[in-house]
Amino acid sequence: MALLVPCPNCGTREVSEFSYGGESSKRPAPDAELPQLARYLFFKQNVAGPQVEWWYHRDGCQRWFLARRDTRTNEVEESYWPHERAQRQR
Amino acid sequence: MTRLPANAAEVIDRARPLTFRLDGRLLQAFAGDTVGSAMAAGGVTITGRSFKYHRPRGLFCMTGACANCLVTVDGVPNVRACLEPVRDRMDVRRQNAWPSADFDVLRIFDWCSFALPAGFYYKAFHRPRFVWPLVEPVIRRVAGLGRVPRDVPASHGEKIHLHPDVLVVGGGRSGLQAAIAAARTRKRTVLLEARPHLGGRLRTTNPAAVMALEREAREAGVDLRLSTFAFGVFEDLLVAAAAPDQLLRIRPVELVVATGVMDQPAVFPDNDLPGIMLAEGVDRLVRLYGVLPGRRVVVASYGEQGDRTASLLREAGAEVTVIHPPADSVQRAIGGRRIQGVVANDRTLPCDLLVIGGITAPVTGLLAQAGPGATAIGSVAAEPPASRGWEFRAEPGKQFTCLCMDVTVKEMKQAIDEGFDSIELLKRYTTLSMGPCQGKACLRASIQVTARLTEKSVQETGTTTARPPFAPVALGILAAGHLVPRKETAIHDRHVEAGAEFMWAGDWRRPHHYQDPKLECQAVHERVALIDVSSLGKFRIQGPDAVTFLERLYPSKIADLKVGRIRYGAMLNDQGVILDDGTICRLGDREFFVTTTTGGTAGMEQWIKWWLADWGLDVQVMNVSGGYAAINLAGPRSRDAMQRLAAFDVSATALPYLSSARGELAGVPVLVLRIGFVGELSYEIHAPSAYGVHLWDQLMEAGHDLGIAAFGLEAQRILRLEKQHLIVGQDTDALSTPYAAGLPWMVKLDKPDFLGRRSLVDLQEHGPLERLVGFTVERGQPPPEGAAVVEADRPVGRVCSSRWSDVQHAGVGMAWVPSGWAEDGRPLEIVYDGHRATARIVLKPFYDPEGKRLRS
Repeated sequence: MALLVPCPNCGTREVSEFSYGGESSKRPAPDAELPQLARYLFFKQNVAGPQVEWWYHRDGCQRWFLARRDTRTNEVEESYWPHERAQRQR
Repeated sequence: MTRLPANAAEVIDRARPLTFRLDGRLLQAFAGDTVGSAMAAGGVTITGRSFKYHRPRGLFCMTGACANCLVTVDGVPNVRACLEPVRDRMDVRRQNAWPSADFDVLRIFDWCSFALPAGFYYKAFHRPRFVWPLVEPVIRRVAGLGRVPRDVPASHGEKIHLHPDVLVVGGGRSGLQAAIAAARTRKRTVLLEARPHLGGRLRTTNPAAVMALEREAREAGVDLRLSTFAFGVFEDLLVAAAAPDQLLRIRPVELVVATGVMDQPAVFPDNDLPGIMLAEGVDRLVRLYGVLPGRRVVVASYGEQGDRTASLLREAGAEVTVIHPPADSVQRAIGGRRIQGVVANDRTLPCDLLVIGGITAPVTGLLAQAGPGATAIGSVAAEPPASRGWEFRAEPGKQFTCLCMDVTVKEMKQAIDEGFDSIELLKRYTTLSMGPCQGKACLRASIQVTARLTEKSVQETGTTTARPPFAPVALGILAAGHLVPRKETAIHDRHVEAGAEFMWAGDWRRPHHYQDPKLECQAVHERVALIDVSSLGKFRIQGPDAVTFLERLYPSKIADLKVGRIRYGAMLNDQGVILDDGTICRLGDREFFVTTTTGGTAGMEQWIKWWLADWGLDVQVMNVSGGYAAINLAGPRSRDAMQRLAAFDVSATALPYLSSARGELAGVPVLVLRIGFVGELSYEIHAPSAYGVHLWDQLMEAGHDLGIAAFGLEAQRILRLEKQHLIVGQDTDALSTPYAAGLPWMVKLDKPDFLGRRSLVDLQEHGPLERLVGFTVERGQPPPEGAAVVEADRPVGRVCSSRWSDVQHAGVGMAWVPSGWAEDGRPLEIVYDGHRATARIVLKPFYDPEGKRLRS
């Protein structure tokens, strides 16, 4: 992997500065059924296409943000802070 | 050493003679010479032996592309002689030959080549099965190029990151012009040139023009990097390049490829004899180094370049015969250790040099890797000039298509007959184009031969996929700049002075011991001792939502923790697995001080911040690990030592177990936590790093008459094991939950939610499959860590920690066992390295099971 990742705080940087947090998913409610918990823990969407995922700028501002990346091309379409999720993810 | 009269293009300094050794023999050279040019000047025609058949090979391309001149320089193998500058007294050895390159008995492979068909490795030595172990050592010795040096010091190259606006690869005319134009529009411009000097082909024909371009480039501010070759283009236009002892990672906005064209060989029997050279290489020898590589020359001129080289050689005083294929096509070369003649048109032309000129191919490897992101300029972008058709004809004898890997037309035909008839399959099966040149000097001819043999057109035959590396890169270069962090605490110097033996603990250098660890344990148990625990992860967590945040982060109760009190805290993931542990100290209503393990600090920082980001709570998390030194003062007399230095009350009533105090100790501000990993009365003292040494010295002095001693990690490990205090990662793994690890009291399922809760609710119902238990072995040393717990010789568990304990006078340890086994006194059978031991389960801490000493 040699792609560039746009950090909302620091700008576009080498992927090696970041930690990858995997695809963004919703943590089940405290009283969720076990299958729902298992899906959350062990199953991933693994989409071929644009996917919203977590990134941490480890060697930079040390903040977590979300990025929409096309898993086929590694093109990052946008990146934003978690509190902007509502607007971005419609 | 014979040289031509000086000329304007030459790069050698005739006023500075040098000497070096080639296989022990002294050779003369001038400063500016390469090993290759000096060998040619010294009349050395054989530069090495070929990969498979050990045929003699000589200088061929003279441009750093082919593998003919790979030599070992001062112990470093596979150095391209034609690019390597001569240094005084360097030691050069020719490779892949025994006993010598001039006389190599392994040439036998050439004469027995009928026994080495295409795909030899895939076909031979499979059956009978005992054959492979016998032949493997022989094959390993004979196969491959060069020898990995054992006694040459590892090079510590540096890694350099560049972020120019424009990167130009190739310092020929087009590349220089592009770089100058870019730099003049105020773009930061870097230019890479693989050779030690600029100019490409222009260097031999018009050196004055090169000088002028070089001057202009420097004036325009182009960052010129010579002897630096790009070897790969990766995602988002990352260009990797190698320079002597440097790895460059270049991320340009624009990539301009000006790699030009390269002369290509023709295919005819014995087309690999020493004394057969490509025209550009001959030009370079004559013009740049003043070396005439032959006196009686035949030039097979397939195009303009051939004619130019012919006239250059004539000017230099050689006797030159030019043949013009296809009218007079080369039928075969004659010679043994050097070319002696050429058969063309059924006539034999005697010669000591055959020049192949005028067949060219653009050097497109980097362009193909870059895809549409790069701009090609100059001759690499142009249609190659039509060459007066080199035509492949099947002839008897070895016709080489790939010199690097010794692949002949016959082997290609064999492979095609076996069904490997696409160029990509042919490449993999015969290893064609997989050698050091990576297709630069063989792909064009191979495609033509394949097309002919499969009766397809060149277009239909296609080409192979270009991948990095585009040129050979030393592994040492790829490893350049790979620095391993080495962290030392603020008190490190004191440990060095005390003669500590150090060990790695994550990135940290920490004292393993200062003296016999047994004596250190004794000091902790009987008197007072101190250990530097500055490497612990330390976090300030504060804000209006701090309690809510920590309630969700930890399985323990936080809200009811009183200010000044401390609680053990392990962090779990949503599977209920223990990630890390430490302590939580409440400093105020909305303010906490949290510690993590040394090794877990970075990971836990990410973890804590991740959930904070996801939950969006009003909390600030500050990693203050580096800002604080920490010392654990432990032992029954530790309170006495504290009292002598503290400006606050450290009595058992004022500062009981699991409480904290802030105040002045030895005149510096500290936070003291009364916690005890090692099982005795103890104080974990945190102070600003700058006061670390001061505090250490003051504690040492205050405890002097109490018999104070420093203790290291080994003693700490023994002491904590006597208490069955677990170490996350040592005693737990990626499946260990609090229930399994014997920490069920920590989990408060009556909280509405926390990380891991849903999984633990289920786990509590079903119970864990395994349990972490203590065990003791009464006689002898305990079984080592990693030993298997067995039942009827079947492994059912494992030992994760074990040590000899002096106070228990027994071996003590912790092991994972089936959960049904977790009862006091149950015997365990443990197997290791052919030994057998019987142990007994002990569920409570071995030492001070009631914790009276800890709480005292």
